[in-house]
Parts: sequence; structure tokens; C-alpha cells
Amino acid sequence: MLSRVADSLYWTSRYMERTDGILRMLKINYASSQDDINEFSWKPVLRIFSYLEEEEANKLAYESRAALKYLVTSRENPNSVYNIVTRARENARSVQDHITKELWQCLNDFYHTVRDEQLVNLLDREDPVTVLDGLIKQGLLYYGTIDITMARGEGYAFINIGKFIERATQSADILDVKFSNLNYDISTTDTIYWKYLLLSISGYELYLKTYRSGFEAKNVVELIVLNRDFPRSIVYSINQLQRYFERLRGERMADSYQQIEFMIGRLKSKVHYSTVETIMSHGLHKYLNEIKAELHGIGIALNQNYFAYT
Amino acid sequence: MQATELLNNYFVDNLTWDEMYADQSVRDQYSRVVNFLQNLSTEELNKKEEQARRLFMSQGITFTVYSSGEGIEKIFPFDIIPRIITAKEWSHIEAGIKQRLTALNLFLKDVYSNRFIINDGVVPIDMIYSCPHYLREMCNTPVPMDIYVHIAGIDLIRNNDGSFYILEDNLRTPSGVSYMLENREITKRIFPDLLPANNVRSVMEYPTILHRNLLAMSPRQIAHPTIVVLTPGIYNSAYFEHTTLARMMGVELVQGRDLVVDNHKVYMKTTTGLTQVDVIYRRVDDEFLDPLVFNANSMLGVSGLMSAYRMGNVAIVNAPGNGVADDKAIYAFVPAMIRYYLNEEPILKNVPTYQLRNAEQREYVFDNISTMVIKKTNESGGYGMLMGHVAKDEEISVYKEEVMKDPRQFIAQPIISLSSAPCYMGGKLQPRRVDLRPYALNGPGGIEIVPGGLTRVALREGSLVVNSSQGGGSKDTWVLSV
Repeated sequence: MLSRVADSLYWTSRYMERTDGILRMLKINYASSQDDINEFSWKPVLRIFSYLEEEEANKLAYESRAALKYLVTSRENPNSVYNIVTRARENARSVQDHITKELWQCLNDFYHTVRDEQLVNLLDREDPVTVLDGLIKQGLLYYGTIDITMARGEGYAFINIGKFIERATQSADILDVKFSNLNYDISTTDTIYWKYLLLSISGYELYLKTYRSGFEAKNVVELIVLNRDFPRSIVYSINQLQRYFERLRGERMADSYQQIEFMIGRLKSKVHYSTVETIMSHGLHKYLNEIKAELHGIGIALNQNYFAYT
Repeated sequence: MQATELLNNYFVDNLTWDEMYADQSVRDQYSRVVNFLQNLSTEELNKKEEQARRLFMSQGITFTVYSSGEGIEKIFPFDIIPRIITAKEWSHIEAGIKQRLTALNLFLKDVYSNRFIINDGVVPIDMIYSCPHYLREMCNTPVPMDIYVHIAGIDLIRNNDGSFYILEDNLRTPSGVSYMLENREITKRIFPDLLPANNVRSVMEYPTILHRNLLAMSPRQIAHPTIVVLTPGIYNSAYFEHTTLARMMGVELVQGRDLVVDNHKVYMKTTTGLTQVDVIYRRVDDEFLDPLVFNANSMLGVSGLMSAYRMGNVAIVNAPGNGVADDKAIYAFVPAMIRYYLNEEPILKNVPTYQLRNAEQREYVFDNISTMVIKKTNESGGYGMLMGHVAKDEEISVYKEEVMKDPRQFIAQPIISLSSAPCYMGGKLQPRRVDLRPYALNGPGGIEIVPGGLTRVALREGSLVVNSSQGGGSKDTWVLSV
């Protein structure tokens, strides 16, 4: 497979994973904003998904519709759903012959949906949850189309590598921001705070089934970092990353392969041999930052070894 | 409004051949389609038009116009009413194109090697050397199997007597074949059952034949040669076509930056290292192919490609330098080539062409400028043309000055009245001017022409310019089997 093609597939996949993360986050936060006795602030979400300066973020913090529009349809925000889907589609467009026609059409349709000027009006006047649900469904169509139509070759491996690097990074980010709001004070017993965090990453039901004793910060960390059955957990994402990377093992490029295999293996061990207690004593913020740094390093190594074509 | 009124306003003047109408009645080949359309209401027809638009949009058969930092997706206009060609007409066209292409290919072989045709005085020597597309780099370069033109898109028009004329020969990188294929797919969706009921021949074979011919060009005799389609990139207006062809043949779509030449061999950069490339179907113009030989600023080509080609380590399709044969001034000599190389009379006629480098002919053209169209010999896409019957006096005098600077670069032809075909516009059928571009594939097994082609249509009333860059659209083109 051409290096350029691998690069584009990887980034298409990362952008689409990010789109899904943003949309779910927005849906739940909007619901939360309707349920909050104190005034709900969008600042944590803006911190995770935009590059706004403190001052600009403050302006949007208490304006649900404006915050939603900034994060979904804004042309100026480089990380808006509009801009990410556009980039995903541009990447897919340059590798149309490597993805199935169905997948291309799915991305192309998604692109036309987010470009529709009606979308801004809907976010302004209608129920935002309906709008966000519609977009989330388009994303699900994307995942399903990959699953059902894409050949299990190298391209599929790069798509999944991108997806799980992005997902692990996102889960680490979300956890970090949510805890930094509490100054990493794990004694908080604000049930609603944890409930919405879990809902936003589809972990609420699993949490209820796993822990019977109500909401505790420690358990939330355990679920999001260490639960191997939770598809958005960091450990699950890293296991999948390793699984798909191993499919690139081949006769050629043995050095490149080994270098990255080592990096993924090291990261996997780090997470596998952690417990929630060691994480907390190490410092949650520090721990999450280390994981993010290692994921970032893997991304750079992939770029140097597999995507370099200039 | 019932669509029986569809035809009430269909008006064709006596000076134009209409594909559907003759002597106030519908021609046989159109009768089934017209009957079918008359049973549809305007709402249904509008719905079909909308459905076609959506299909194009959703499949991304679009080109992007960039303005104010944001891309706008546009589709090439598609008219839902098919253009129909009878079996008899087709066999005439097919024979004519095969003959013409055979002669043109021999001509290319000849001008780049022995130059018999020049020495025998059939084509003047300065016509060749003054052509900007004549490449000295191709002289005595061996070309695999002496095939220069692998893919040709020869444009035909129909005069008011109903006979077909060759308008131009596109032998470099003719585009539009994906529209031949996609337009057919759209027709299948919007008019179910209509194609089989009319005995329309399939165009599906095109990518298969092309792939087979490309495989046969491989310099290495190996089981699985590497074939690539070389595209200028996603900003090229024909990018959709490049992806479609690569996908339909199951070959790699590459850009110049994906390729590298080492020791006169071409490789592509892959995730598992370098892979040697055997055949390049390039959609990049000669000028940009190799910055070491041609335009040094080109980012679209590959440094060293021409040396690899000359060493016979890679096949380039179409061969570089073909522009000397589809030059608009050389065009006038094609009938003479057919007689010279094949000892046959041309089956398809040429439009009479005046060389403006010839003072006598130039004077004649300037005196009769209102009945002439003047064209630049090396422009395509409908650029740089002067349509004498509509041009204003100032335009004409400016253009004349331009001509006098370098008369070799201009030719003139009498304005030919293109035939018209019915288009669905504003709830009724209206005649619009059309041309026809069939696609011929030339391989070791001979020349094959897929029964169909691209019908381009001038959507503005009375307009004779069908180029997509000048507001033209396209139609599905049916060749009937009986």
C-alpha cells in the first residue's frame, strides 16, 4: 500500500473517531445543562475540544446554543465537527480507490449533511438532542460500513490503528479535564457529575453493573482506564491498537515494525500492571499525561516509518 | 399538466439535423423512449431529474470550486433524456474511427522515426516542427509495440445533412469516459427497465478492456505487473474520473510524489518499501511528466521518468508527444494520411479547415469571418476560440491582431451547425446542440470501441459550444443493437 494512502486512511479514521467523541460529549452535556440547578458551564467541553483562549471560552461558557454551534458548525473553529468531517472526507477523497464505494458515499453524505445550512438553524431553534442524534447516527453508519464492506487488509489495519490511538487519547483527555475541574479531589460525591461523565462516553450502564455502591471517583477512574470490557477504556483501546498493529508484521521493514511494536508493548504493560491505587498514588494527572505522551510518540513513529513519502 | 404537452413546443429549424425529430414525426429509434416519457407527468419527470442530481452528489461525482476559502461542490449538468444512435450509424462511426486512429498511430510512429510522410511531401515539414507538442525527446525512442495512442477520444459532430464529421482528435489524455459509465448507471436507476426494452448495448466492458491492454504493455514479463494511474491530485477537475478508473481496474492511483526513479526504474513508495512500477496510465500532461526533461517547475511529475521510459523499463500510456497528431493544424492533413498510409478513402469526413499561416487562405477567412470559427491549434476545452457569427467588431479586430503575431497557431473552419437532441428543460422537451465522443482503445489485439460514448450538450439555447468548461452538460449515450 502507498505510504500516502496509509496516511490518509489513518487520518480519516482519527477524524471520524474524534467526530463521534465530540458529538456524544455534546449530547450529554446539553442534557446535563438542562438538569443543572447551578448554572451549567461549557468550559470543560470547550477545553477538551477547542483551542479557545480563556477569555473567549468564558464568553461561550453559559450560552448552550452558541457553544454548540461553535463546536458543531463553526467554520472558524478548526476542531468543529464541520471542519473535522470535511478533513476526513478530503482524506477519503484522495484514497477513494482504497475504500469501498459504500464507505466513500457514507463519508460524502456525512459531509453534505454537516455542510447543509439548515443545520445551523436547527441548532438555533430546534431540540439540539435530535440534531446531535441525527449526526451520531451518520457516524454509526460509518462504523458499520467499515465493518461490513472493508477488506481485512493493510488499509483496515491502519484505519483501526488510527481509531484506537484517537480513542485512547480522547478518553485520557476527558478524564483529565473532568478531574482537573475538581482539582483532582477524589472525595467528591456529586453523583450527577459522574453520571453525566459516564453517559457521555457510554459507560454508565456498565458502571452500574460493575459497581453496586453508588458513584465514587476511584471507580470511575478504574472503569475508564482499566476495564478491559469497556470499549472506550484506555486499556481496551491499547489492546486493540496492538492487535491491529500486529497485522502489519511482514518480511520487509522489520526494523520499523519492531520499533513501534516495542513502544506499544511498553505502553500496554504500563497500563496492564497498574491498579487504581497505584495510579492515584502516582498522581492521576501525571499518569494520564504520560499515557498521552506515549500515544503521541507512537503516532510520530508511525508517521516516520510508514507514512513518510516526501 | 400532462406530459403529452412535452413535445408541443419542440421546434427545430430546417437548417439543423435533429436526432429525434424528422419531418414532424419522431424517428424510429426514439419512438419507445418518447412513448415512455409521455406517460410520465411533469412531477414524475422533475422527480427523476432531482433523483439524478442526488445520485451524482451522494457519489461525489462532483468538482470543487474554491471561493472565499470554502469549497463549493458542483456537479456537471446531466440531462436525463438519452441520446440514441442506431446500429447502422454506429457501425459507420466505428469503422471510421478505427481507420482514422490506425492512420494517426502510423503517423506518430513515422514522424518520430523515418519521417517518410515529410520526405514524400504529404505533410509540410514546418507544420511538424512548429507544433509546440512535437517532442524531440521522442525521436527514435522505442515505443512498446509501436502503440502511441492507447486511448483516444475522437469528437464527432453531425451536420444538417445528417452525416458525421470529425471535429477533433484527442490523442493525449482524453477525459470524460467516467461520465459515459456513470451516466449509464444513473439511467439504470431513474428509468428502470427502459434500457433492455430498447436493446441498448452495454458500456461496462470499458475498464476491463483498458486493464487488459495496460497489462499487455508491461515491459517485464511477470505474472502480476504493477499498473498505476497517475493523477495530478484531488484539485484536478477530472480527479473523480481518475479514482473511478483506478477502482474499476483495481489498480493503484498515484500522484507524482508517490513515485521515485532509481537506476532508470520507476518505484512507488509503499508502507513496505519500494515497489517497481511497470505501466503508468498517466493523466498528467506531457509538459509536467518529468521536471528534468520538460517543465522544471512541475510538482506533478517524476524526476527521471523519461529516462526510465527511454530505457524501456516502464510503459507510459498514452505515449508522450502525441500532441503533434491531434494539433488542430495537423488535423487538416489527416485525410491525406489515411490515403498515404492505408491507401483508403476516409470513411468519416473532416470539417474543411483553413490554415491561417497561408496568406491566401487567411485573406479568405478574414473576408468571410462571419461564417467562420477561428481556433487556436493547441488549446482545448473551448478556450481561445472566436465564433465569427456572434463576435463583436472590436473582438474581431483584437483577435486578428493576435492571429497576425503567429498565424501558424490558428486555423479557421466554417461554422458547422451541430445536430440537436431533446433535453428536458423547464417541464418540456427542448432541442439543444450536441456532439459525440466515443472512446477507442488501442492494444496489441487491435482497436476496440465500446458502443457508447459521451454526448456533450450545449445547454444554452442556440449555443454551439458544448465544452463542460463553457457551461456544457452531458447525456447518457445509447447505441442500439438492432
